[in-house]
Amino acid sequence: MKKWYYNPVLASSLKTRMRGWRTAASVTAYLGVMLFIAYIFFKIYIEAQAINGISVNANQSVGLQVYLTLAIIQFALILLITPAQTAGVVSSEREMQTLDLLLCTKMSSAAIIMGKLLSSLGFILLLIIASIPLFSLVLLFGGIALEDIAILFLFYIVTAFGVGSIGVFYSTLFKRTVVSTVVTYVTIFFLGIVSVVLGTYMMAMHYSQPSQPADYYIPFILYINPGVGLADLLSTQAGGQYVLPYGIIGLLIGQVGNIPQGWFQQLPFWVKNIGVISIIATLLLVISTWSIRPNKRMGARIWKVRRSG
Amino acid sequence: MLIIRDLVKRYGNFTAVDHLNMHVQRGQIFGFIGPNGAGKTTTMKIIATLLAPTSGQVMVDGVELQKDPIKIREKIGYMPDFFGVYDNLKVMEYLDFYGSAYGIEYRQRRRIAEDLLELVDLRDKKDAYVDTLSRGMKQRLCLARCLIHNPELLILDEPASGMDPRARAEIKGILKELKRMGKTILISSHILAELSEICDCVGIIDRGRMVVQGSVDHIVRRMEGEAVVRLKVLRDVDRAVKLLKEQPMVTGIVQEEQFLEVTCKGNDEELWKLLRTLVNSEIPVISFNKAEGNLEHIFMEVTSDEEMVL
Ligand SMILES: Nc1ncnc2c1ncn2[C@@H]1O[C@H](COP(=O)(O)OP(=O)(O)O)[C@@H](O)[C@H]1O
Ligand SMILES: [Mg+2]
Repeated sequence: MKKWYYNPVLASSLKTRMRGWRTAASVTAYLGVMLFIAYIFFKIYIEAQAINGISVNANQSVGLQVYLTLAIIQFALILLITPAQTAGVVSSEREMQTLDLLLCTKMSSAAIIMGKLLSSLGFILLLIIASIPLFSLVLLFGGIALEDIAILFLFYIVTAFGVGSIGVFYSTLFKRTVVSTVVTYVTIFFLGIVSVVLGTYMMAMHYSQPSQPADYYIPFILYINPGVGLADLLSTQAGGQYVLPYGIIGLLIGQVGNIPQGWFQQLPFWVKNIGVISIIATLLLVISTWSIRPNKRMGARIWKVRRSG
Repeated sequence: MLIIRDLVKRYGNFTAVDHLNMHVQRGQIFGFIGPNGAGKTTTMKIIATLLAPTSGQVMVDGVELQKDPIKIREKIGYMPDFFGVYDNLKVMEYLDFYGSAYGIEYRQRRRIAEDLLELVDLRDKKDAYVDTLSRGMKQRLCLARCLIHNPELLILDEPASGMDPRARAEIKGILKELKRMGKTILISSHILAELSEICDCVGIIDRGRMVVQGSVDHIVRRMEGEAVVRLKVLRDVDRAVKLLKEQPMVTGIVQEEQFLEVTCKGNDEELWKLLRTLVNSEIPVISFNKAEGNLEHIFMEVTSDEEMVL
C-alpha cells in the first residue's frame, strides 16, 4: 500500500540534495551572510547610541533591535533565494527531457507539482531551520518571546510557499528556465513595489476625503504583499513602538486606529495577509497542475487519489 | 493489443497524422517505418498519453485511451527518441526513482531493477552516475526504465538511431529476449535494414498516412510486381538511360556514375528482354543483377519518389 505522504519526486530529490558538500556549504554560507549583516547593523546601532549619548543598558531594546534586524534580513534572503530554487522545477525537467517520462508514470500531475515544489522549498526550509539558533540568541536579551519567533517562522514559510508557487507557475508556463527565473524575479520585484505604491496611494486618497472617513480601509492590493504583512507583524511584536521605522506603510497602518467590525476585520493584518497569499499560491499551483499535461481531457482525473495494491 | 483507428493529429493547419490505422497483435514486434517528419513520434506520443489526438480512437489491450489514460500508462512502457536522464542520479537510483513513480513498493522495485540491469547488461554499472555512461549504455538504461513496471506494450521511438552497429546489435538482442518474454513491441525507425530482420510486421508511414502494413513477407510479395535491377555499364551511360526510359516496363531509374538502378514491372522474362534490348543496342553492360526485394528498397519505393530520375 502506497502511503499518501510518500512522494517519489520529493524522496529522490531529498536523497540527491543531501549528497555531497553543496547543501552543507550553502547552509553555512547562508548563516554566515546573515550573521555578518546582523553584526554590521548591530555595530552601527550601538555606535549611533553611544554617539547620541544614550546608554545601552536597556537590554530589551537591544534584543528587539537584533531580532528586527535578523527578521528583515532573513525575509529578504528568502525573497532572493526562493525564485532561484523554484523557477526551474518544471522547465528544467523539460530541458532535460525527463518531464514526458514523469508524465507517463502513475504519478498524478498534482503529485508531480507538489513534489517539485516541496523539494525546492525543502532547501529554504532547511535554511530557515538552520537560522533557529541565531534567533534564539535574541531570547537571551529578552524583549521577544518564543512564540513571537514561532509566528515569524510561520510567516516565513507562507512567504516561501507564495513566492515558490509563483516560481513553479512560471516554470510550467515558460519552456526555458532562464526566462522563468527572470520573470519570477521581475514579478516579485514589481508586486512588492507596485502594490505598496498603489496601496499607499489608494489609502491616502481614501483618508484625505473631505468627509474624513474613520473606517477601517486597507486596499486589497496590500494584502498580496508579504512585506506589508511582515511590517505589520513586526510592529505588533515590537509593541507598536517601531511602527515608524517601517516607513509610510507602518504609518498608514498605524493610522487605522478605529475599532474594526466583524471577525475578518478583527484579525490582525498579517494573518489576513498570509491567508490571501496562501489562497493565491494554491490557485497558481492548481493552474500549474492543470497545465503540465498537454492532454486536457485527461486533466479531469488529476485529483483522483490512486493507490497501488 | 494495440488498435488505432482513424487517428488524426493536427498542429494548427498542419496535419501530422492523417487518418492512421494500425493493428499490432499481442507478442508481435511491429516496425513503424517512415522518413523523418512522417508522424511516427507524434503517433507514439499519443499512444503514450502525452499528446491529445485531434480525433480517432486508440485502444491498448481493450482499454480506450481517451477513457482511461491512467490504465494505459500502466500497460505501456514508452521510450522517447531522446535519453531523458537525470545526471545527478546513479543507475540504480534512476531505476528506483521511476519504480517509485509507478507506485512499486521499495523491496520489489529493487529486485525488479536488479533483474532489468541484468537483462540490459548494466549490472556492473549499478553505482555509476548516469551521466558517465556511454550513449549505448544510456540507451539500454532507458530501455530498462520503460520496463520497470512490467508493461505489456513497449513503445520505442527510434532506439537505434545514432547508435553504432554494436550498440544496435545489443538492443536487437534485448528486443528478441523481450519478445520471448511475451512483450508486444512497437518500434519506429527511419532506416529499414535493421528492423526487417527482427520485425514480425511492419507498417510504413509517410506524411501521416499508413502506406502499407503487414508481415514482412506479405509486403515483399506485394512489392514483387516491381523488380529492381542494378546494372553497370562501361560507357555510354546517357544513352543507356535514354534507352531505358523508352522501355514501357521501366518505372524508375537512379543513376550514380556508371551504376544504374532500374525499377521495372513484370517478371524475369521481362528482365531478360530488357537486358537483350540493351545489348542489342550496343550498350556495354558489364554487370546486371536483380536485387532481392528487401524492405529497405520497398521503403524507398513507397516513401520517396523524389529521388527517382524519370
Ligand atoms: N509541436 C508541434 N507543432 C507543430 N508541428 C509539429 C509539432 N511536433 C511535430 N510537428 C510536425 O509534425 C510532423 C511529424 O513529426 P514527427 O511525429 O516528429 O515525425 P517523425 O517522428 O516521424 O520524424 C513533422 O512535420 C513536424 O514538423
Ligand atoms: Mg521522430
